[in-house]
Amino acid sequence: MLLPFFNWLNGLPVSQAIGGSIWIYPLVQAIHLVFLALFAGAILMVDLRLLGVTLRSQSVAQVARDARPWLIAGFLGMVCTGIPQLMQNASREYYSEYFWYKMYLIAFGLIFTLTVRRKVSQGTESTPASKLVGLVSILVWGSVVVNARLIGLFT
Amino acid sequence: MADFLMPLHDLFFWVSEMPSSIAIRESLYVSPYLTVSHVVSMCIFAGLIVMMDLRLLGVGNMRTPFSEVQRRLFPWQMLGMGMSSVTGLTLAFADPMRFYVNIFFWTKMLVMVLAGINAMAFHFITYNSVVKWDSAANTPFGARLSGALSIVMWAVVIVSGRLIPYNWFQNS
Repeated sequence: MLLPFFNWLNGLPVSQAIGGSIWIYPLVQAIHLVFLALFAGAILMVDLRLLGVTLRSQSVAQVARDARPWLIAGFLGMVCTGIPQLMQNASREYYSEYFWYKMYLIAFGLIFTLTVRRKVSQGTESTPASKLVGLVSILVWGSVVVNARLIGLFT
Repeated sequence: MADFLMPLHDLFFWVSEMPSSIAIRESLYVSPYLTVSHVVSMCIFAGLIVMMDLRLLGVGNMRTPFSEVQRRLFPWQMLGMGMSSVTGLTLAFADPMRFYVNIFFWTKMLVMVLAGINAMAFHFITYNSVVKWDSAANTPFGARLSGALSIVMWAVVIVSGRLIPYNWFQNS
């Protein structure tokens, strides 16, 4: 159903220009990874606090509030560097199962982070519920990374 | 090739002829999955290093004293470093001659050494005065310098690592 859209995306002059340059695509990929480090750090610091294994002298809410701007910056940076990669590769990525796993996982991760995890991050102490949320968050975002890397390796 | 590089070349070549190196190189799945694990370990290591660097710069995680951030994140950073080292060394072990001729690989190695020196310099010089600025609104110049250098250098490490497959400058 989305194939015509993906083909259209791939055919755009901008997408063709990205594909026509030998260095734009690799550099965008590399910068995507730098933003990934920022995003992962902001996610992990809060998740480890939710799990109750680090920074225990600070409240969960304090750690979460400190991490938020970097979490948003990291995510936006990855969207901005992810879309050009998709544009250049759209017709091929449409057929990659890993690409779709990654998209579903991001959708779930976003909803989870903005609802359940956000709610739990307002607490003070690590509780059994917050531990579960921290664990789910690490597993979901970790799976996004794994599937993302597999797109390039097995497509 | 310059003569002083011969021992290095011979070492890489010797490793590339080892049966275990050949076995990993010829397997279809080991290297791809090592690459995936290397990226996951990078997230743990670089992610938590950046979180500490932002605190050093005085722009992030300011609600927590610096020594607290440093001490609590350290074991997790070391976990990430251990995982990255094991996966990275195995990848290099599996195909040494591919990396030997790669400018991005050597850039990455060099900048990693520099980042290590920066971390040591911070630890043995600036960190000695941590009690004076642990919870202060501003961090001292030395701390900001180390934090900025660390972010820039680890970003260069990530970028050059990602560029290794693109061998634009290889002529052999």
